[in-house]
Amino acid sequence: MVSTKPAPGHFAILYFAAASTFTAKSTESLPAPVKARDLFAALEKRYPGIKEKVLNSCAVTVNLEYIDLDGDDAAQQDLVIEAGDEVAIIPPVSSG
Amino acid sequence: MPTTNDPALANIPSEPITCTTPDIHIELTPHTLSPLAATKFVSSPSAGATVLFVGTTRDYFKNLPVQSLSYTSYTPLAMSTLFSIASSMLAKHDLKKVYIAHRLGEVPIEETSIVIAVSAPHRQAAWRAGEEALEETKKRAEIWKLEKFVGGDGVWRANRDGVMGVQVGDGEEKETAV
Repeated sequence: MVSTKPAPGHFAILYFAAASTFTAKSTESLPAPVKARDLFAALEKRYPGIKEKVLNSCAVTVNLEYIDLDGDDAAQQDLVIEAGDEVAIIPPVSSG
Repeated sequence: MPTTNDPALANIPSEPITCTTPDIHIELTPHTLSPLAATKFVSSPSAGATVLFVGTTRDYFKNLPVQSLSYTSYTPLAMSTLFSIASSMLAKHDLKKVYIAHRLGEVPIEETSIVIAVSAPHRQAAWRAGEEALEETKKRAEIWKLEKFVGGDGVWRANRDGVMGVQVGDGEEKETAV
């Protein structure tokens, strides 16, 4: 289920749709802190190929707020994912 | 967390998740949806028009027979996105009430996956708001559809591009242009 409490010193990351298929997980704990701009590289290291096949079309939320990973917003570029945060990989949606 | 054969479908609540105010009702549920509940919720003595949209699962996608469909969601975020869509429709179209409910988990073919109802003093606003609420939901709500084709793998659909999306199984991205 969502809102899993991460282990101490870790943040929780949630994978949805194609991201969960690729990682074969719905959630896991990863070591914190991580700079938001380094998140995709950290995931690529754990799951080779995920960046091109999945992450490049995904958005990211931290504690239920979307973050802007490739915009000009300097504050968001320097955002650090801290222990206890809940991060989610959001692929293109398909409700209806 | 219990292990499951398909982690992609692990985020399905066992009970309905709802958020209700006097003029907005949002619901994500593993249960059957009720169009009647939707029209009852939006009825109002000052509304002369109710528009109801009922979305049902289809048995084909671009000529490929679909065996089953499942929906998963990031429920806390999807709830807040749907509530924000409902609030903005209420203000923009001067509606009386808005109801948006989406089913999660497996939805058998021909059953209802989404219900939207809006009420307004007059029909024009209700028609427009009903359509816009649906389009905004399809564009923004953090809900994902997995289609399993007869004799084939599952595919995560993406509303925004109308292509096949990402194939489940070998992790290969398979996109077929419209």
